[in-house]
Amino acid sequence: MNKTTIPKILNLQNSVFLNDYIPSTIAFDELKQECNIRPHWELFVRSLEKLQPSEFLRWWSEARQQLRLNGVTYNLHSDSRGVDRPWQLDPIPLLISENEESHIQKGLIQRAILLEIILKDLYGPRTLIKNKLISPELIYSNPNFLRACNGFKPAGNRYLYMVAVDLARGPSGVFHAISDRTQAPSGPGYALENRIVMTQMLPEIFNKCNVQRLAMFFGSFKETLKSISPFNKDNPRTVLLTAGPRSETYFEHAYLARYLGITLVEGGDLTVRNNRVYLKLLDGLQPVDVIMRRLDDRFCDPLELQSTSLLGVPGLVQCARRGGVAIANALGCSIVESPILMPFLPYLAKTLLGEELIIPGVTSYWCGNTESLKYVFNNLDNIVLKTAFSSRRMEPIFIEELAKAQREELIESLIKNPQNYIAQERIELSTAPVLTEKGIQARPLVLRRFLCAQEDSFLNMPGGLCRYASSTSMRLVSVQQGGGSKDTWVLTSDQVSTFSLLKSGSENMEISRGGGDLPSRAADNLFWLGRYTERTEGLARLLRGIFLKLLESSKTNEGSEVHSLLKILTHCTKTFPGFTSDITTSSLLEPIPELLSMVYDRDRPGTFAYDLQSIYRTASSSRDRISFDMWRVISTLEIPENSHLNLDGFHQEGSANIIDILEVLNRNIIILSAFGGLAAESMTRGHAWRFLDIGRKIERAFQTIRLLNGSMISSTNTDIPLYESILEIADSLMTFRRRYFNKISPAAVLDLLFADPSNPRSLVFQLNSIRENMALFPNNQGLGRMSLQEKSILSTLTTVLLADLEHLIRPAENKNREYLRLLLSNLECDLSNLADSISHHYLSHLQLSRHLSGNNQ
Amino acid sequence: MKYLIRHTTSYHYKEPVSLCHNIVHLTPRTNIRQKNLFENIMIFPQPDSLDCQVDYFGNTVYFFTIQKAHNELVIDARYETIVNPREPINFVDLPCELVLKNIATSTDTETIEATEYTFDSFYITRHNDWLEYAIVSFSKERPFLESVMNLTTRIFNDFKYQSNATTIATPMVEVFKQKSGVCQDFSHFQIACLRSLGFPARYVSGYLLTNVDKNQEKLIGADASHAWLQVYYPGQGWFDFDPTNNLQPSDQHIFVAYGRDYDDVSPIRGVILGGEHHTIKVGVSIIPSDSLVT
Repeated sequence: MNKTTIPKILNLQNSVFLNDYIPSTIAFDELKQECNIRPHWELFVRSLEKLQPSEFLRWWSEARQQLRLNGVTYNLHSDSRGVDRPWQLDPIPLLISENEESHIQKGLIQRAILLEIILKDLYGPRTLIKNKLISPELIYSNPNFLRACNGFKPAGNRYLYMVAVDLARGPSGVFHAISDRTQAPSGPGYALENRIVMTQMLPEIFNKCNVQRLAMFFGSFKETLKSISPFNKDNPRTVLLTAGPRSETYFEHAYLARYLGITLVEGGDLTVRNNRVYLKLLDGLQPVDVIMRRLDDRFCDPLELQSTSLLGVPGLVQCARRGGVAIANALGCSIVESPILMPFLPYLAKTLLGEELIIPGVTSYWCGNTESLKYVFNNLDNIVLKTAFSSRRMEPIFIEELAKAQREELIESLIKNPQNYIAQERIELSTAPVLTEKGIQARPLVLRRFLCAQEDSFLNMPGGLCRYASSTSMRLVSVQQGGGSKDTWVLTSDQVSTFSLLKSGSENMEISRGGGDLPSRAADNLFWLGRYTERTEGLARLLRGIFLKLLESSKTNEGSEVHSLLKILTHCTKTFPGFTSDITTSSLLEPIPELLSMVYDRDRPGTFAYDLQSIYRTASSSRDRISFDMWRVISTLEIPENSHLNLDGFHQEGSANIIDILEVLNRNIIILSAFGGLAAESMTRGHAWRFLDIGRKIERAFQTIRLLNGSMISSTNTDIPLYESILEIADSLMTFRRRYFNKISPAAVLDLLFADPSNPRSLVFQLNSIRENMALFPNNQGLGRMSLQEKSILSTLTTVLLADLEHLIRPAENKNREYLRLLLSNLECDLSNLADSISHHYLSHLQLSRHLSGNNQ
Repeated sequence: MKYLIRHTTSYHYKEPVSLCHNIVHLTPRTNIRQKNLFENIMIFPQPDSLDCQVDYFGNTVYFFTIQKAHNELVIDARYETIVNPREPINFVDLPCELVLKNIATSTDTETIEATEYTFDSFYITRHNDWLEYAIVSFSKERPFLESVMNLTTRIFNDFKYQSNATTIATPMVEVFKQKSGVCQDFSHFQIACLRSLGFPARYVSGYLLTNVDKNQEKLIGADASHAWLQVYYPGQGWFDFDPTNNLQPSDQHIFVAYGRDYDDVSPIRGVILGGEHHTIKVGVSIIPSDSLVT
């Protein structure tokens, strides 16, 4: 995890810091005109001046800390291992004056209406093509033109419910639209989070400046979603469809779902039956009325759209066609975000609306047109190239900045397939002050604005996501390329609405104790999160025990209990062969290489580093189900880095490095205990908690069984140090000492770890707890009879309760405790069946779809 | 000609399928030369929902869903269809160059819409190699339809019909290299050639009567689903060519559906939940019903 550092800012010694800001000379600057502050910034700048720089910096540092701890991220490479980039927020907002805002709003509404009309035509009569108002090629050869979406009315008779437009201000001060996002616009959630952090950081200045609020926008959007439900108008079930934790903006999906109070789902959570969409919940299928979609068009239905997609819902298009579900935005909207449409928009606005575009687009040329191509070749250094059909697969190219080989490659491709490219005039982006490590500097910016559907028009979000480039000279403003973001303050002279989404239903609110829907997949994730956290904690304790023994034995040169522990390690983690081979083999005599691998190897299942990654992954997938605090705890887990550790070094200063490892283990044990504590203390006792807890208890039961199995089977192996280690690893040594002082006997150890219902580490405790939880599972209440799973846990529990300890510790003829061995191995088998049975019974609809091969030839 | 068509597809699954969604393109199209007298499609087990619709291309499609566990799925489609012979061409076949120019400049809706079939699609990508292969048949002055027929003949001669040489997934480059395949491959290839030259061409799926009469030469296609193509002639409409049999289809070809390529019109497409391994059996029989004693 990145550490937040306060940049050393010398300039801020001076309290009038924005006055010292030097704007760019070539671009339009948002704050200053030459060296004068623009009028609408004055109040803000004056208020800021009154702050102590140190105070400002401390608040900002707290704000950044808050962003980090809230886990606001942008998943850079869509990496499942969780290389999320922390979200960067600049403490100086972008201010927009009331006058300019009204112009922008009118222009954006006009643009959104135009895009909506174009969509209605393209998936309907297609007069734009028939009359060649749009070159037919641009649509017919466009992969975003989805023929499956043709010829039916989308829900609410409109395609666009949320639209984003990127605006860039040129040197003359005029805003230009540089791109549109129509299929699943990202950013509104980040804009909201930025706002929440800023209002906490500068509450007084925010209030003084009379900034328009954002909540109304989301409230209106939510109302609109509700209104398009084909059924259950009063209380429609609405879900947010995401591609899952690998998607770049997954944080935002989870954030918006929570803010809007709707269920976050992946394609696999939904199923189409009887021309309706259903959500797979623990207690069965429940109908879904409205889908807010953050999944790209082509991935939404493997039956009729891209057949290789595993992210979608088979049959979704047909369901939408038959009016069984409302999807916002409607399927097929990606066609109007193709950059290829840009050159045609001014003409289309004139023809379709009889108006000029209020916000001009940036001048664009489609290279498939011979004239345009000629112009492009003559002006290669002054244009930006984009792929014509999809704005997402490729970042814009600045030819001037390419190396020679790349440049030639590009030109060749341009000659070969000119129709695949679109060229745009380059805009010198406007700049605004950004707080950097080198002080306050001018950075180029792009403003993403959002609109949502409202009645038969659109409503602007009075604000937006302002993104700035990572350096003054960068032309590309991109979060991927290391830029940052700003909150956008739209100023007003009117009274500011204090609408809040949470307060809206204050009168006659029905008291509810449910917590919303728990999809089966979410339950599955929580079950595994429980298992992984417990598994990792157990492993950390075991490793700690082993390393402590190694420190001791290097002094006393004893080792048989170390060998037992090493074997237990291999059995517990199933990392065979590990230490399980014969004693003469080198691994037991030279345990360090294998132990290091068990700590550090991220790619080997069963290791400590691997398990920590699994925790991170399952926790990321459960972001909308666990509390902020629980997430914060997870995000402080340390995956050990072994970059500085080589084997030779380890031998030379062996014990010093063991101490390093012990420290990491100790820190992680404390963090994991904190997670367990939060789960116990702060999660509502709903199904989500139950699955998490059962996962933990099953895993702990496994561990106890394996510890006993590895330490108590051989009756000759009665050396006290091994029992002590086992008790220590099972966190029960204190209790044991209190009860028996310094005496130790196998029967006493077995009693405490196996049969004592008051010891939260004992096997019987786990089984009791699993049984209690299971009685409250869905489908089990009120039936008056037990489910298979309940019967199975009851049988296991009874076996443990009825076990005769004296009998169990009696050795057989071969000196081993065969009764105990048999019992433990039966119990392990029962538990493993139980875990499978839970998955099968409650989570079984998580099957994968496959294609029928229908080829006749 | 009047035909009785029966197309039976059955799937057997090793593990039960708990849910399936399917799209079916089996119903012969109605057009100037062709009409259905009887249509019946039976599905076992009984679908929980069944919709009959028209797709983007105007083909009849059935959507159906089965929501109960099943180990077997049978789709049994029966039609009685009248097909009239092709009319002889009654206009002057213009030179290729002129036809190409008309396609590019026409403002007539039908021609503009036909340009949809000049671009790449799921299975068909334009390529310089196809252009070089095809151009031999298309000199500037040569009449267009004559040129297309010439290309059809060349493909018929150069490629060998071999029923197991390819699957639908075999890339065109491979088909071109081994010069063998089935009707789908030949049709896709000829369409790719025509599109590489800039002519609109579309894929047709249908049936073929192969055992007309003992004296007549037997056509290739084994009484199963067949495929051929259509090219667009500005102002005159679409003309059929069958590279597998080196002819212009007439009343032995029963037209089911058209699209940009196989992907748009595959007879049965489905997504299932469960099922593991499955086996398919397909049976098609075409009987000229004129010859039946009634």
